[in-house]
Amino acid sequence: MDFSATHIGFVIAAYALTAAVVGGLILAILMTDRARARELDRRKQAGLPHDH
Amino acid sequence: MHNFANPTRFLAIANPLLPWIWAAALILLATGLYGALVTAPADYQQGETVRIMYVHVPAAWLALFAYGVMAFASAMAIIFRHPLADAAAKVAAPIGAAFCFIALATGAIWGKPMWGAWWVWDARLTSMFVLMLFYLGYIAVWQAVEEWDMAATIARVVALVGAINIPIVKFSVDWWNTLHQPASVFKMGGPSISNDMLWPLMVMGLAFNVLFLALHLTALRSEIAARKLHRLHMHDVGAQ
Repeated sequence: MDFSATHIGFVIAAYALTAAVVGGLILAILMTDRARARELDRRKQAGLPHDH
Repeated sequence: MHNFANPTRFLAIANPLLPWIWAAALILLATGLYGALVTAPADYQQGETVRIMYVHVPAAWLALFAYGVMAFASAMAIIFRHPLADAAAKVAAPIGAAFCFIALATGAIWGKPMWGAWWVWDARLTSMFVLMLFYLGYIAVWQAVEEWDMAATIARVVALVGAINIPIVKFSVDWWNTLHQPASVFKMGGPSISNDMLWPLMVMGLAFNVLFLALHLTALRSEIAARKLHRLHMHDVGAQ
């Protein structure tokens, strides 16, 4: 890729935006999944019903 | 498929598969990005801006595919009453919406240097915008309606009505005169772009689809946990 080409800023902007959206989506889904798994685990550790 | 729709069976199959699917998605993404940014040549007319194609086009394909998954799952929920079908449709929506947004935004970024405009109301862009509205409407239904069965019923209708727009998006460039270029990969007579550009595009398309599978299965596992936690909370409240 030629970083001195005209309009290269548009290419960088497109990839940066894609990385931000995809990265944010991955983080949001993984963190939500982990938080819910931890909550179920916490109930199990506390002796509360955890498999209803 | 009926067996897979059982939440316990789903988790028993999905949990061991998920690390492999995530790994495949990352390897495909790295390979696709290497092809898109390093080996693929600049276009003789568009120059380096053609590289936007490697994220714009796969994102648009995935936005359509994810909506197809949503509509299919909604139809399965109506016909077979699969316990996981509504949840599968529900968790596909934010992922599809994110990729629809990427397609619209990178299209605008590509359009400005090539067309001289960020946006034009041609048939392809407008139908993609309508797809985004259906995604947002579908998500809004789940956010606004508290009672699960009622939300699911309305959401199924929104998903199936919106599915009418999918062939309109696909064929908009054939049915109307558009500033957006016609299909150059999935068309009669085969692809009309150079192999040097085609393989990174196809690898990125596959990478986005495998990433969708990883995100969708993880989100579905998370949704099953959320519903279980909701039932447990109701049980706790009832026991007090």
